[in-house]
Amino acid sequence: MLRLLFKESLLFAWHSIVSNKLRSMLSLLGITIGIFAIILVFTIVDSLESNIRGSIQSLGNNVVYIQKWPWSFGPDYPWWKYINRPTPQYYELDELQRHCRSTEALAYRLGGRRTLKYRSNAIENAVIAGVSYEFYKIKNFDLSLGRYFTRNETEAGYRVAVIGAEIAKGLFGEQDPLGKEFKIAGQKATVIGVIKKEGESMLGMSFDYQVAIPFNFARQILDPRSRNADPVIYAKARPHVSNAEMMDELTGVLRSIRRLKPFAEPNFALNETSLITQGFDALFEVIGMAGWIIGGFSILVGGFGIANIMFVSVRERTNLIGIQKSLGARNIFILYQFLSESILLSLIGGLVGLLLTWLATLAGQSLMDMEISLSGANLILGLTISVLIGIISGFVPAYSASQLDPVEAIRSNA
Amino acid sequence: MKRPGIITVLCVMGFLSIVVSFPRVFSPEVKKLGSFMPALFGLLVAANFMSYIGLWFMKRWGAELFCLAYFIKTLLDLVLRQFGFSFYLAQAFSLFCIVVILLHYRKLDRNL
Repeated sequence: MLRLLFKESLLFAWHSIVSNKLRSMLSLLGITIGIFAIILVFTIVDSLESNIRGSIQSLGNNVVYIQKWPWSFGPDYPWWKYINRPTPQYYELDELQRHCRSTEALAYRLGGRRTLKYRSNAIENAVIAGVSYEFYKIKNFDLSLGRYFTRNETEAGYRVAVIGAEIAKGLFGEQDPLGKEFKIAGQKATVIGVIKKEGESMLGMSFDYQVAIPFNFARQILDPRSRNADPVIYAKARPHVSNAEMMDELTGVLRSIRRLKPFAEPNFALNETSLITQGFDALFEVIGMAGWIIGGFSILVGGFGIANIMFVSVRERTNLIGIQKSLGARNIFILYQFLSESILLSLIGGLVGLLLTWLATLAGQSLMDMEISLSGANLILGLTISVLIGIISGFVPAYSASQLDPVEAIRSNA
Repeated sequence: MKRPGIITVLCVMGFLSIVVSFPRVFSPEVKKLGSFMPALFGLLVAANFMSYIGLWFMKRWGAELFCLAYFIKTLLDLVLRQFGFSFYLAQAFSLFCIVVILLHYRKLDRNL
């Protein structure tokens, strides 16, 4: 019985929408724009968030960065406190390796930008990373060709290099890069490995555009005292050792290496990847709020539009309601009939909004070369808002229609 | 049946609370609780809205729907451990509404 009632109500609602196409289209436009605005912002925020989280994940959750500058966001960054700090040194890595028990791996990295040349091909400002042996244990990267450095190659400063996929493509084209000799700022190096293509990283840390060379070779090319060298010591915690425990130990060992007095402030920073996530969380919250407010107002306006059109619809069909009631239609049937119409209107508006969002994500993907996708959660959210608007804006007109007196309704001139 | 003044006040306050809680349905905070949470919260807001309409027209189904929505919402808040200021405010307001509704329950119309 209920099923039949529901089906009949839906049929009536559908006929009403189809017979007033232009009016229906105009009234659902508000909902369409609202759903499009809200879901598009949520989709972009979610996609950015997942891309950034993916990039951070690739840096390693259990890795601590020992650096001169602490990672911090916001306007009150006390840079004058940090500017005179010493940068991490290679000998400190040796000391840490000797004394730390909580670390699984420790590695040193020195960075810089230099020109690469192979015959007539050249890449300017390529990122050069001078790394210590255990670097491969810290960074998650797979090799598509060749191998990583041996401990001997790293310590003796062999002129070998592991290059990123885009560097390999730019320098050697379709040729096999393994064993090829190329120049880094005029110094010869042999390719022994190629890192598997990683794709774009939101944090600009993709290995596709980097060249990793042994630290003792990098000393001849890069200046460790340069402001752009940004020396880092990476420390990766052993399994079942928390970052906090490892950081306590690192702090103690580093203080003794640098001979800091008991109450002296540390002159190094221990940075965790979670700090980046926290910084971005605040940003995403603001963007999400902005989308929520903009879309919320559009939806509110759309809701009023639907409520208005439903009141007009009830007024127009007062005679019909009277006839239906006099033929035995129950109040609940009239209520369902008008409520279905408003829900259906709103749902169509929402679906069109979601379709526009999906098309916008496709356009965004092709324009920005970034993974943007309409998630199931956002799809459910869009449909929920549509139905909710349909119920809230249609209930009062539907209920007032269901309460009409059949005799008076038939008599009305509407 | 003439609507008592206290129910009119409750309904007006209820409609205002709907205006406030409606945007919360699709707020990032609710979305963080789970994919289906906005849908669930949305349904509860819609049920609450309909119950105030019912109470406005002095209908028994309005009172019953209000109590049902209150019960489900409280259960959900308890499960999700949402014990902020808004929880206690909503509890106080809802319990007050339930007391008023119970006092006038006999006056309410049984029909739709």
